[in-house]
Amino acid sequence: MTREEFLSAMRARGAEIAPAAPRQNIATTNALLQGMRAAMMPITMTEFYAVVGGITNGSGYIFGPEEVQRNNIYPVPSIISINRDMSHIPAMHGKTIFGRNDLFFFAFDAFGTAYMLDNLTLRPLRKYDDIFRAMTDCLAAGKL
Amino acid sequence: MQLSQTSAEKIMKDMSMDDMPLVAFQPQRTQISADWFARYKAARHSFMQSLVDSVNELAFMNLSQEEFINLVMGREIPRNMSIRMRIPLFWGGQISPDNMFMCATFPHSQNIDRFIIGQAGYDTVWLPAPSKKIYIPAHTTGGGDGGNATEDRLAQMAAQIVSAHGME
Repeated sequence: MTREEFLSAMRARGAEIAPAAPRQNIATTNALLQGMRAAMMPITMTEFYAVVGGITNGSGYIFGPEEVQRNNIYPVPSIISINRDMSHIPAMHGKTIFGRNDLFFFAFDAFGTAYMLDNLTLRPLRKYDDIFRAMTDCLAAGKL
Repeated sequence: MQLSQTSAEKIMKDMSMDDMPLVAFQPQRTQISADWFARYKAARHSFMQSLVDSVNELAFMNLSQEEFINLVMGREIPRNMSIRMRIPLFWGGQISPDNMFMCATFPHSQNIDRFIIGQAGYDTVWLPAPSKKIYIPAHTTGGGDGGNATEDRLAQMAAQIVSAHGME
């Protein structure tokens, strides 16, 4: 699945897409992820964040490099904030959480493989070679 | 190994959720049936529809009329809200509206996830057990845009919806 196919499908479902973060912020985010022993972004993700700053579809979220402000509603945390909170958990070393819904977390590793994780133990439940397929599963479960 | 009740309550307090009751639970990994997702989806919808009896809590959420109707008709949950299982599915929790509660995704549901993940591997874990179907921290219920007018309006709408669906 290409990025454009994924974004087109998400727009059709009524997902809210945040504007892209500045390139400099993406580079800073990558450095911070490395510092907390999470995975650095694979190229697919750096290119994705160059056009999209995060996505919300009901209770499904793809986190972006920056916090997403929402009128009168608690902001969506940045990918750094989410992963900083989990950085002490050994199971998360070498992985970066990039999405969540009410049942699962979603993470990538530095090689571009994505994982659906049990939200209680962070145990991998499913592996994806296509990160956009993982994002689709993450967001689709946000509107059931 | 497990957290003491005092330690667990301290963690909740540090996350500004000190009014969230906790219950001790011994997790045991459970096989779930192949049709769990369809049943989970149906239970979520039933849970949303059951919220017509939670007008007091809904009044504090400052919902628009459209959001309120979508919620109690079981169509869509409001922005930044999550439906959580009281006893997780994979630990033997029933797929039933009685095993669900609703709270804000950020920060509360995310914090609850962190709280439970932090107890991974313990024989006994502390699980949040709000007394009502919707968890709204006490410190956010002291004022704001809710109030009697909102509550009355929502109660009226809830009664109309119940009546239209023959749910009384």
